[in-house]
Amino acid sequence: MATTVLPRPKAYDDTFFKPISLWLTTTDHKLIGIMYMVTGILSFVIGGVFALIVRLQLSQPNLKVVDPETYNQLISAHGVTMIFFFVTIFLTGIANYMVPIMIGARDMAFPRVNLLGFWLVPVSILLYYSGFFTGGALNAGWTGYAPLTEKAYNSHSLGVDFWALSIIVWAISGIMASTNFLTTIVALRAPGMKFSRLPLFVWAQISTSILLLVVGAPLAAAMILLEFDRQLGTQFFTTAGRPVLYQHLFWFFGHPEVYIMILPGFGMISEVIPVFARKPIFGYMSMVAALFGIVFLSMTVWAHHMFTVGMNTYVEGFFMLMTMLIAVPTGIKFFNWIATTWWGSVEFTVPMKFAFGFLATFLIGGLTGIYLASVPVDTQLHQSYYVVAHLHYVLFGGSVFTIMAGIYYWFPNITGRMLGRTLGEWNFWTLFIGFNGTFLIMHTLGLEGMPRRIATYANEAWAATNAIITISSFLIAFSVLLLLINIVRSWSSGEIAGNDPWRANTLEWATTSPPPPYNFERVPPVRSFMPLRDLRESGEVAE
Amino acid sequence: MTTRVFRALITFGGLVALAVALSSCDVGGLHPIFPNPVSPNGQDIYNTYLGISVPAIIIFLGVEAALLWVVLRYRRSTQPVGYVPPQVHGNTPLEIVWTIIPLIIVLAIAGYSFVELQKDFQPISNQQMTVIVSGHQFGWNYEYENGVVVHQEGTLAGDVTPFVVPTHTLVKLDFRGTDVIHSWWVPAISGKTDAVPGYDNFSWLKIDQVGTWRGECAELCGVGHSTMQIIVQSMDQSDFNRWMAQQKTASPSASPSASPG
Repeated sequence: MATTVLPRPKAYDDTFFKPISLWLTTTDHKLIGIMYMVTGILSFVIGGVFALIVRLQLSQPNLKVVDPETYNQLISAHGVTMIFFFVTIFLTGIANYMVPIMIGARDMAFPRVNLLGFWLVPVSILLYYSGFFTGGALNAGWTGYAPLTEKAYNSHSLGVDFWALSIIVWAISGIMASTNFLTTIVALRAPGMKFSRLPLFVWAQISTSILLLVVGAPLAAAMILLEFDRQLGTQFFTTAGRPVLYQHLFWFFGHPEVYIMILPGFGMISEVIPVFARKPIFGYMSMVAALFGIVFLSMTVWAHHMFTVGMNTYVEGFFMLMTMLIAVPTGIKFFNWIATTWWGSVEFTVPMKFAFGFLATFLIGGLTGIYLASVPVDTQLHQSYYVVAHLHYVLFGGSVFTIMAGIYYWFPNITGRMLGRTLGEWNFWTLFIGFNGTFLIMHTLGLEGMPRRIATYANEAWAATNAIITISSFLIAFSVLLLLINIVRSWSSGEIAGNDPWRANTLEWATTSPPPPYNFERVPPVRSFMPLRDLRESGEVAE
Repeated sequence: MTTRVFRALITFGGLVALAVALSSCDVGGLHPIFPNPVSPNGQDIYNTYLGISVPAIIIFLGVEAALLWVVLRYRRSTQPVGYVPPQVHGNTPLEIVWTIIPLIIVLAIAGYSFVELQKDFQPISNQQMTVIVSGHQFGWNYEYENGVVVHQEGTLAGDVTPFVVPTHTLVKLDFRGTDVIHSWWVPAISGKTDAVPGYDNFSWLKIDQVGTWRGECAELCGVGHSTMQIIVQSMDQSDFNRWMAQQKTASPSASPSASPG
């Protein structure tokens, strides 16, 4: 799999800047992982700017910061950027970096597929944003429901076409990455790294990859059929065709995508909590079982996004039941995390703060999910600001908080330097307050009847709430700015971390920080699911 | 230690008070629940929402309290120096308990919701009046059985032509889509119903008081989405009959002419 080992340039290891030629051609899973993560963070910033413009537009009634057409493009670009180009891409990056090293492998199973899969991501992103230069990008929300995306109602630009192409490329890239992860985990585990000893982050990546393998193709299929309609004159989803079929295809991908964006986060939390509680994870086997319970259930719930299109009530009942059942495995994970900290010696470092911030806020997203799963209640809440609040509690309070925990936890491994603690504390508290200030009261707007995706509103009763939301959203932006400053400062001149700054349990810390190319001078022995702790206790590595 | 427990109790008490306040009444103009429903199906949804809130609030408070307890009680600075936590790997009976109890709770919620689903979302045939509601970019048409059509063309300010129904009458709404998907939503009456092209959908309402209720389109349908405002007005039967007579004189042919769009 590996080509000849090149002599290791000094610059490769421990400085911020590396030669461009190295970045462009590398098949090292760690460097590719870093490029994924940087791409994700840049997308986070771009998607955040879209969101701030949207919030300015909604801050008061009857504003004209942007016109409705631009507004529709902005909300679509915000959704597409955050879901496809930030969360999924960042998580693929962190897995690309961590999965091989956590299982004691030297690289991914298919390094050149990894290289190709990564470079398809900028292609996908550039394709999408090219839409802005054809008279307007996608303007139908990130879901792009037909017939609004059909030629009859959307012929003023090629935005929809560029979006569809972009998503097809994205799906291919995701399928490549998933295949690579599964093969790597099955075939390249270190001696002694049985499946029953895999770190929970690796288990989470197995479940995520299975999901993306199953649902990536239907997504691409929906986009291809939509393009047939637009360019070849077919009638799959047109007004004369079957618009609801599009929704089925899209949500068969769309709902599992939610879990693709949160399961790796669950995995990271399962790594962070035991380390800082100084206890092993509570209920390892039930954590793994819960992951696969979620994988199975998440593929049987997609039509809960469609309770208002008028399906048979028994069909709706089925999707309602399956959706609510997801609360059971998710609950198991929650209780196990709390039990892990119980009687612990819990150190509230910045990653642990983010882990607890995740637990405190994701709970709200989970509970509002129960309301939304109930068909009668959903007919009220669907497509309102209640849903916007719910999905941000899941995607921001969930995915983003876990990503932040992961960044603060693994930054020392990736760069060899600690991510500054003082700025980190500020980063956490501003994000926690800004996030809840933005999204908690948003629930009430939905209950009062404010639909999502409206470009403006005349109702004065919604003005005060919207103003508070907009102000809080700028606190989030300030917090992200702190993160960026912290990353750049710490990467160039942060405190040197040492190999194992957290006294962790898993193999990524059993080498140098940052690890050399090919990860290990000598692959450490694996005797349990906490191999590094075993080595510390037996004195094979220093405390 | 005592001050920490005291602080925990104060915080917990504050959370309880907040949750109770949120669930019982309006706080500072924020509405923790839908507007008071005026149609029986809306009332049933309202009650289902309240029903789900009971376990949801209990679970919320319980889990947040547990997290708070960990933060206050098990943080390293409160533990004795050199404290080594018990290396517990799990507890099968406990894990079974916290699998079974949530399972029972969600099955109860699903069952409760399913009963309400069967009650209010099945096709009906005992309606006293049927209106065909069709959505277009950007407005709604309401076609009565006698052919009278109310054209509710959208405006952002919401000063649109009202859709008029008689009180104490079970009105079936048959939804039609003519271009893209729209969604008809008046929160005080009931939930949303999508108007999907080529796909029949329905809802119903029965309003027992005279009044006017607002709503708007809930499915992104293009640049005019936010202008697709809805007004539903209910009148006594005699007022309704007078209004209907006026409509007929206004358009004597009373033919269900297609809207100019």
